[in-house]
Amino acid sequence: MMKGVYNWIDERLDITPMWRDVADHEVPEHVNPAHHFSAFVYCFGGLTFFITLIQILSGMFLTMYYVPDIINAYKSVDYLQHKVAFGVIVRGMHHWGASLVIVMMFLHTLRVFFTGSYKAPREMNWVVGMLIFFVMLGLGFTGYLLPWDNKAYFATQVGIKIAASVPYLGGYIQTFLQGGDIVGAQTLTRFFALHVFFLPAVLLALLGGHFYMIRKQGIAGPL
Amino acid sequence: MAHGPKSNEKIVYVGDSRVIKRSNKPVAYDYAAYPGKSEVFIPNFLLKEWMVAVVALVGVLVLVMSDPAPLGYPADPTNTSFIPMPDWYFLFMYQLLKYPYASDQYVVIGTLVFPGLLFGGLLLAPFLDTGKERRFYRRPIASALMFLSLISVIYLTVFSWHHYTKELEATGTIPEHIKAEEERQAAKKSGQPAPSAGKTTQVAAIVDESDPAAQIYQKSTCVSCHGADLKGQAAAKIPALRGVGDKHDKAGLLAIMKNGVGSMPPGQYDASKAQGLSDADLDKLADWLAKQKKAQ
Amino acid sequence: MSENTSHSHSERKPGAKREMSRRQFLAYTLGGTTGFLAAGVIVPMVRFAVDPVLQPKSASDWVKVVEESKITAEPKSFKFQVHQVDGWYESDPELEAWIAKDSSGKIFALNPTCKHLGCTVNWNNNPSYKDQYFCPCHGAHYTKEGKNLAVAPAPLDEYDVKIENGFVYLGELHANSIVK
Repeated sequence: MMKGVYNWIDERLDITPMWRDVADHEVPEHVNPAHHFSAFVYCFGGLTFFITLIQILSGMFLTMYYVPDIINAYKSVDYLQHKVAFGVIVRGMHHWGASLVIVMMFLHTLRVFFTGSYKAPREMNWVVGMLIFFVMLGLGFTGYLLPWDNKAYFATQVGIKIAASVPYLGGYIQTFLQGGDIVGAQTLTRFFALHVFFLPAVLLALLGGHFYMIRKQGIAGPL
Repeated sequence: MAHGPKSNEKIVYVGDSRVIKRSNKPVAYDYAAYPGKSEVFIPNFLLKEWMVAVVALVGVLVLVMSDPAPLGYPADPTNTSFIPMPDWYFLFMYQLLKYPYASDQYVVIGTLVFPGLLFGGLLLAPFLDTGKERRFYRRPIASALMFLSLISVIYLTVFSWHHYTKELEATGTIPEHIKAEEERQAAKKSGQPAPSAGKTTQVAAIVDESDPAAQIYQKSTCVSCHGADLKGQAAAKIPALRGVGDKHDKAGLLAIMKNGVGSMPPGQYDASKAQGLSDADLDKLADWLAKQKKAQ
Repeated sequence: MSENTSHSHSERKPGAKREMSRRQFLAYTLGGTTGFLAAGVIVPMVRFAVDPVLQPKSASDWVKVVEESKITAEPKSFKFQVHQVDGWYESDPELEAWIAKDSSGKIFALNPTCKHLGCTVNWNNNPSYKDQYFCPCHGAHYTKEGKNLAVAPAPLDEYDVKIENGFVYLGELHANSIVK
């Protein structure tokens, strides 16, 4: 039955080559920890992606309960974490995942750096990777405000003050981030929009580019 | 489709603007340089990658179940006792800004120049380190710079955390999210509904406001901390005196005035007397405060 | 996908010993690992999302509405407040009920939400439908007992009624049990 449906679609859209191409492409053995245990350093990129997937999924589910509003944000987070079944786990995944993704990404960056894998012809992929790093930090920063507890509020104050110290443009950046003169209701909705729509969109685009370039250029050979 | 269901003819789209025939699939990278040392992505390679993912997932779940995500008290812009801390991965920046050459009139160095150099250098690494050599020990400059940045970032992060814990100790502060979690645990144990900090606590009214003791209160030293409105300062952990009669009787209140309690210093009784209040006045005041019970 | 990677083994000689190739074994293991990863991530989240479905229905409390003596055979509208806990939001919304006595003197209360599309019906507000509930939206009308006469597919919902110490208390809302 499944095979029939698959064949029907394949006959029309010729989909086999698409996944065959992904499934059957050759990967050098030196990145597989099953062959040399030290190759586990090559796993951090994949782990970053895996945890990013967890982040996207848990984030989607969290928005089922969360409201970005200064009166209700804290209450809704409190509610979803302490009243809803598995709320502790889903929010925990998102919270700890955020830290882990930074750790994994950092280790991945170090691996690429110390194996010199960013050298020609892979310079562009390194640059895209660094942009992903910035976007992740941005996601961490914007996500921090959302529970609207004291920690969120004051950490954001400090973060925005840092951005405001940029010469000439600082004031504009501050107003743009705050959405007004103070860190308040408009800051929260802004950070929510950035955290949930804008930055993830940029992230997905960059990830697409990152993976495409890996396929196109292959994995750097062994040292 | 013009083809019958049994047609074995392979459909090739030619000159059809709707469906492009895929002919230029990504060229498989040639690993001829090290022949025989490659494997297919699925299942061989992905399986190992996902074994590692399983370990990571189990790790995440264990972490999640042992440590719930922190949640403090609702944001209160007037809170002055809160020690703000950014996420750990911003700590090095946070610490950097405390140094003299990265703050005050040099703040731009801390907020822009230093991070700019760090991230700019990282971003442009492939264009700065253009040699063919890939082994890190053969690229002493690049590796040395990286190690140096790593060490300084780790040092700043660790030191910042150290500084924070010392500050906590010095001020006797328990981080809010820990306190909030303890309260929730305690409430769970005693079977009470969890304290939902989202609810505003009802402020008790002042009992017998026209009592002459209310005037005495305004003259005492109590006012300076507990406030003319008897509301205390929640942010500084100074309790409200409204409803204090629920906790202490007259004798207890007099004892606290004389000896202090918790972070309240002793000797307030004598200090109030020095401001022109008599023993009788303070006796009346204690009487009045003992009457401050929350209306049920 | 894993199904398709094993297609080369589909033509097995009947009776031949079932042997698994290395590739097939790896494919199955990969499938299992995928399943574990997906389950580990998705199951808590799905449970989290469907939690409202699994919550037991809370029985609503009785709400004191009006003195029994004020109820006549003619339906009258009464407003009453209920305490509603909606997630993190607690409120006391005002509800409305049309309360009347039936021919045997038994008190019943109807909810004025039209069963057609949820507008609010009113008693005796349309001259062509005398002594009936009439809905201004699409002209649905009901008898005094809430029986649907036109447009609406079901009779008006009914509140549980309790009389205590001369007061009418309203309880849970449920499908009309007076008219069939």
